[in-house]
Amino acid sequence: MRFFEKIRRYIKVSGVTPIGRRYFIKNALDGATTILGIVIGANVADVANEFWVIWPGLGATFAMCLSGLFGAYMTEEAERVSEMRTLEKSMLTDLQETVVGRANRFASFWAAMVDGFSPALTGLSCLTPFFISSTGLFSTTLASQLSVAICLVIMFLLGVFLGRISKRNMVLHGTKMLLVGLIITLVFLALKMIQ
Amino acid sequence: MIRRVVLDVLKPHRPSVVDLSLALSSLEGVDGVNIMIYEIDQHVENAKITIVGTKVDFDVVKEKLEEMGATIHSVDEVASGKKLVEAVKTPQDVSARI
Repeated sequence: MRFFEKIRRYIKVSGVTPIGRRYFIKNALDGATTILGIVIGANVADVANEFWVIWPGLGATFAMCLSGLFGAYMTEEAERVSEMRTLEKSMLTDLQETVVGRANRFASFWAAMVDGFSPALTGLSCLTPFFISSTGLFSTTLASQLSVAICLVIMFLLGVFLGRISKRNMVLHGTKMLLVGLIITLVFLALKMIQ
Repeated sequence: MIRRVVLDVLKPHRPSVVDLSLALSSLEGVDGVNIMIYEIDQHVENAKITIVGTKVDFDVVKEKLEEMGATIHSVDEVASGKKLVEAVKTPQDVSARI
């Protein structure tokens, strides 16, 4: 059986798709929100050097990635082992070397990948303007504005995706998600004005 | 050579009957598969599986079922040979029912 066909079968048998989707949305939002917080915080503190955003941003992204990888793997694996034991009791047989056992082991790995790499993906995307800024192509202020814009767009798109899954108003869901980012941005801009 | 085999199988809910029937029908020598679920429990389900073909290899079928997480409870009917022979009704079958 071909590699991708095998993976498709494992995803189907393990029923990991909705779990993976939940992990993806939740952690991708975490990634974008964290970087938004760092960028806005740096903006309030009038940070002029882009590396003061890049390093904390990379640190947070790396931490979220590792936390997602190990946290999700261990949680999912524990749940799956428990489910397998119940199923094996009902079947009165060992299912480890069957498609069910293999699919369950794959599901833990898959959930960990999604949970770990979704915040890394959105986090790095939000940091991209600062990477470009470090080459001297544009100013840190512009990088900051672009980064906030990317964070907000990602949040909106995640909401749109949720709207699409639940077959409801995609723009409304996108706007709801966008509100999270807007609240963070407005609170910090207000703090900057008070300061 | 086996032309038809009817099995009583216990299987988990996943893989589904659709996936199981497709997996069985893709085996060499199998022309068609019918799966009928007759009992559903919380974690498992019982299925009557009928496999028809020109040269059904029972060991391969058993292996495929086990690979899909299913176990054979009993082999309820087997038809083999050059010609497919149906079970014949006899007067005793009727009297037994009475």
